[in-house]
Amino acid sequence: MQYMLMIAEDESYYQGDDAEKRMEETMGKHMALIEEMEKAGAYVGGHRLQDADTATTIKYTSGEGVLHDGPFAETHEELGGYYIIEAADLDRAIEWARKIPVPGNGAVEVRPVWQD
Amino acid sequence: MARSRFVPFGRIDLPDTRSSIGAEIAGARPRVTAALVAQLRDIDLAEDAFAEAAATFLEKGVSADNVPAWLFTAAKRKALDAVRKRTAQAKQAAGSAAMVSEMSNVIQLPEAIPDERLRLIFICCHPAIALEVRTALALKVICGLPVLEIARVFVSSEPAMFQRITRAKAKIRKAGIAFELPPRKAWAERLNAVLLTLELAYTVAYQDAAAERDGELAGEVSRLANMVAELLPQEPEALGLGALVALARSREPARVDEAGAMIPLSQQDCSLWDGAQIEYARGLLDQASEYARTGPYQVMAAIQLCHARRGVDGKTDWAAVLKLYDALMMMRPGAVVALNRAVALSNAEGAAAGLAALEELPKDKLRSLRPYHAARADMMIRLGRDEEARISLNAALSLDPPSAERRYLEQRLVKLG
Repeated sequence: MQYMLMIAEDESYYQGDDAEKRMEETMGKHMALIEEMEKAGAYVGGHRLQDADTATTIKYTSGEGVLHDGPFAETHEELGGYYIIEAADLDRAIEWARKIPVPGNGAVEVRPVWQD
Repeated sequence: MARSRFVPFGRIDLPDTRSSIGAEIAGARPRVTAALVAQLRDIDLAEDAFAEAAATFLEKGVSADNVPAWLFTAAKRKALDAVRKRTAQAKQAAGSAAMVSEMSNVIQLPEAIPDERLRLIFICCHPAIALEVRTALALKVICGLPVLEIARVFVSSEPAMFQRITRAKAKIRKAGIAFELPPRKAWAERLNAVLLTLELAYTVAYQDAAAERDGELAGEVSRLANMVAELLPQEPEALGLGALVALARSREPARVDEAGAMIPLSQQDCSLWDGAQIEYARGLLDQASEYARTGPYQVMAAIQLCHARRGVDGKTDWAAVLKLYDALMMMRPGAVVALNRAVALSNAEGAAAGLAALEELPKDKLRSLRPYHAARADMMIRLGRDEEARISLNAALSLDPPSAERRYLEQRLVKLG
């Protein structure tokens, strides 16, 4: 099965004085994780996203779409990136999800990809 | 994919367990259903097949030496028919077709039923399913408790509960919750989820002394807890929970007086306690202690075992109970444990000490708990502070107690005059 691992993080962790160092550390862990996933044949794809303040949302009301400056949900944790992985079952997918570095506050959502 | 359909009335979910045949079918259910789920990899299919096999068994008055084996074989045939029908209808994927041929090979009599109960428990109690739904799912799938009963236990409507169970089954299927037994290293977290599920069911089953709402539930919870203890004899906490539930069961005959009022543990007639359950619990705890890995369930069971000793010693060793509550506070600090510790203290060192400990606890959490007000009333009565006792009893009564507890609280109020 394929699963999408969606990473929501509190962006404030990567702001401030040692922002650059913190981001570097996290990115290094992501690179190592991708390598591990590739070796295990689990990596299908994934990307880091730009900060949530770059988001534009089309909000629909009864099918009528209006542009909105910002992400679709106003929360403390913003979608910051995702992985698509191949895993035999939910437990294996969760095992990978647990390896995603989230040094501050945040959440990782594990969702099966629709398959026909 | 509307595979589960809601049939509110009429469908036989559970045979009448009061008859011996009904009890035999109910007893066979966990093992047979688990084996079916493991082979079919489809909970709905397994449940339907078992229900049909059980109905046939009852209708035709089959006489079989080995009821579980008969049910297993019959249910597999029913499932095979259902899959064939489905495959023919939908010209479905190769997977189902492969399963049909694989299953035609295995159906022969008599056959041993593989023990897949642990696997089924791990599936139903997966931490990816919400805690309260896990219990409902386990009661439905493993014990075969009708949805209406489960809904009553969790104070919900039958359609709402049916929907929750259906959603949980859909999640198992769609999210790819494994039908395999998880590897041993993953057991710790999974076992915690299983034990927490059982604990919730146990709490629900024993909150009402008269068991008006959930007489059936207590029996099923005990069945599940015994099963988990039997399947995981090397997990001391599983044994501890098994012991805890057995000790609660042992007191069922002594919990309510003739007027239907609850009798608190300390005033129960211990000659009414079920000695076999107490012995069973003691055995489980002895077995658990060999692993020298203590945990909250073992401590809670040890506390209840201390109380059970009153049946032998004629008195309760409150100092020992207090020590155990101290240990429990370290493992699982919380308002309810602290409250129970204060009650133990009031018995070990006097009501004044107990009340002092009680008054130190944060009130915001305790105010909504009936046991807090009941314990406070008890200490006030012992200290001769009747007016405050009255206030506490009325506070407990205002929190909508089950009828047996309400009668008990009212009796105490009357005694105060």
